[in-house]
Amino acid sequence: MSRIIAVIAATAFMATSCALAAAAPARQSGTTLTGAGSTFVAPLVSQWGPAIGQAYGYELQYSPIGSGGGVAAVTNRTVDFGASDAPLSNDQFTACKGCVQIPWALSATSVIYNVQGVKNLLHMNGPTLAKIFNGEITTWNDPAIKKLNKGVALPDLKIAIVHRSDNSGTTFNFTDYLASVSPQWKSKVGTGVAVNWPTGTGARGSSGVAATVAQTPGGIGYVDVAYALSSHITYFAMQNRSGKFATPGLKGILAAASSDQKPDATTNALSIVNPPKKYPLAYPIATYTYVIVPTQSAKAPELRKFLFWAVTKGQKFGPKLLFQPIPKPVLVVAEKAITKIHA
Amino acid sequence: MTEIEAPRLSGRRFRPGDLSLQTVAGAAALAASALVVLIAYTIVRDSKPAWSAYGLGFVTRAVWDPVKHVYGAGSFLFGTVVTSLAALAIATPLAIAIALFLTELAPRWLRGPVTALVETLAAIPSVVIGLWGILVLGPVLRDHVEPALHSALGFMPLFGPPSTTGSSMFTAIVVLTIMILPIVSSISRELFLGVPRDLKEGALALGTTRWEMVRGVVFPYARGGIAAAMILGLGRAVGEAIAVTQVIGSTVSVSANLFSTGDTLASKIAASYQGAEDKAQVSSLVYLGLILLVFSLVMNVSAQLIVRRVVRRQGTSTRAGVA
Repeated sequence: MSRIIAVIAATAFMATSCALAAAAPARQSGTTLTGAGSTFVAPLVSQWGPAIGQAYGYELQYSPIGSGGGVAAVTNRTVDFGASDAPLSNDQFTACKGCVQIPWALSATSVIYNVQGVKNLLHMNGPTLAKIFNGEITTWNDPAIKKLNKGVALPDLKIAIVHRSDNSGTTFNFTDYLASVSPQWKSKVGTGVAVNWPTGTGARGSSGVAATVAQTPGGIGYVDVAYALSSHITYFAMQNRSGKFATPGLKGILAAASSDQKPDATTNALSIVNPPKKYPLAYPIATYTYVIVPTQSAKAPELRKFLFWAVTKGQKFGPKLLFQPIPKPVLVVAEKAITKIHA
Repeated sequence: MTEIEAPRLSGRRFRPGDLSLQTVAGAAALAASALVVLIAYTIVRDSKPAWSAYGLGFVTRAVWDPVKHVYGAGSFLFGTVVTSLAALAIATPLAIAIALFLTELAPRWLRGPVTALVETLAAIPSVVIGLWGILVLGPVLRDHVEPALHSALGFMPLFGPPSTTGSSMFTAIVVLTIMILPIVSSISRELFLGVPRDLKEGALALGTTRWEMVRGVVFPYARGGIAAAMILGLGRAVGEAIAVTQVIGSTVSVSANLFSTGDTLASKIAASYQGAEDKAQVSSLVYLGLILLVFSLVMNVSAQLIVRRVVRRQGTSTRAGVA
């Protein structure tokens, strides 16, 4: 059953990916804004397409080709904007020559699993998760996992790790979290859109990871929360630093976002993984996702209008896709950054 | 092959038809050759940062770490060689058996439909075969075939502990086998059909069994052609990216166990090129492309040498269709 759901989800995902460009209504008078990048933010952008068409008559064409692809596209100026879940590295920032990076959506990564006969929302914490992905913990009835799930009959089943094989902002968010909870992960593996995984099986795209986990007893993997929710995959409640277990829901994301509301002065980047103790509701693997725009653009007035709309009214489309509207202080910074775009 | 000399344009009469034919055909041939040169040039140029930084050691080093910027092709080259050769080794006898069945053994009414079905297999897009590989084939191999092979032949390191997710080199080999089977079998079938009837009937008239006739007449006649078909199949297997990327489990590892995960050159390029972050990684990926190009070239040339030798040994009495 779960396999069938995964197939349907995979098909639907591909179909929406293809349909995004076509979804925007054709308005004769309108300007066309083209963008490319993050698949994570794609469901939200696809909702924005028709709405921005109605509001301003713009046609929005967005290709969800992955965060790295989006950065490359905007660096080469083949699109009007790029979208990335991983903030630009310093090298990328220089290469982009006069780009501004704006946080424009906020969501989380869920850690999914497939253990038959065990309820949804098993408990998990960061250090244990890092040990699993390091290959140190190999079975589901390991004392470390048992300790987190008292009273749950965990089977003597091998853990099968599934990670992304393509470059992905979700991988960045996930490894950013592991590096923040495990010094060993930080020094041995590190953080990136693709890393040198110590163990496990690679699968292509969120759909590939979800499908592989779904048909592997004992499987564990990570996908963006909207994807996990829409394809009904079970995921962990993650222990945050206060010791509480939080789910990747809107509340948990909002609490995590409250932990850091001061974007970096030059890059506007924010890292909200593993927030401090005083946010007891925080889900620890939350992330901002960014839009990257050249400050000088032939379509500057239209881009400004669209981005203002996206970070304000556009946020209303978020909650039902599990995107938490961005908090006020971040919004202020985003709006300031948008004004930098000129012709 | 004899060449017919093209009529001189400066001859008695000006022939616009000939001139345009020559121009169009010549331009097409030139464009195709220029394209090969251009592609090779681009790949050499764009991989230059990688080969000048990592040198030839890159080819054998089995590491790929985008965080620490250390790259090497070793595990991908290993995966490419193992998966493509194993797929060819499984597909060739099967394909020849199918071709023999369709030309010599099957009842006449069955030949048409079965031929059509086998050739339809070649028309299935690789991404669809890959999807089927993830959802159906992988789990079946993991739950039934791999444990059986492991318990029967587990003393060989080739058949180690079964995979956990269903993604493995073995799954990739089976997927590749399915993909090259119709290529080799349909060419073999054409070759077997081309064996002169009088030779076959002569052999049977001399009292040979059907198998002796196949072994003594059909196989020698088609040998060079079968080798050519195998080259085509191998080329397909080496270059296949998408279906492999979907089922091989994409990990940087060199393991004798066929049931472990791995990766191939083509699959790695397909998985990682889009959105590759730093320049070192991009040019390393193009370097993988260069290795793939050289690898295919070497294999093609050596295979053609083999074909030529086989054909020469056969002498001039047979005229197997070898390109």
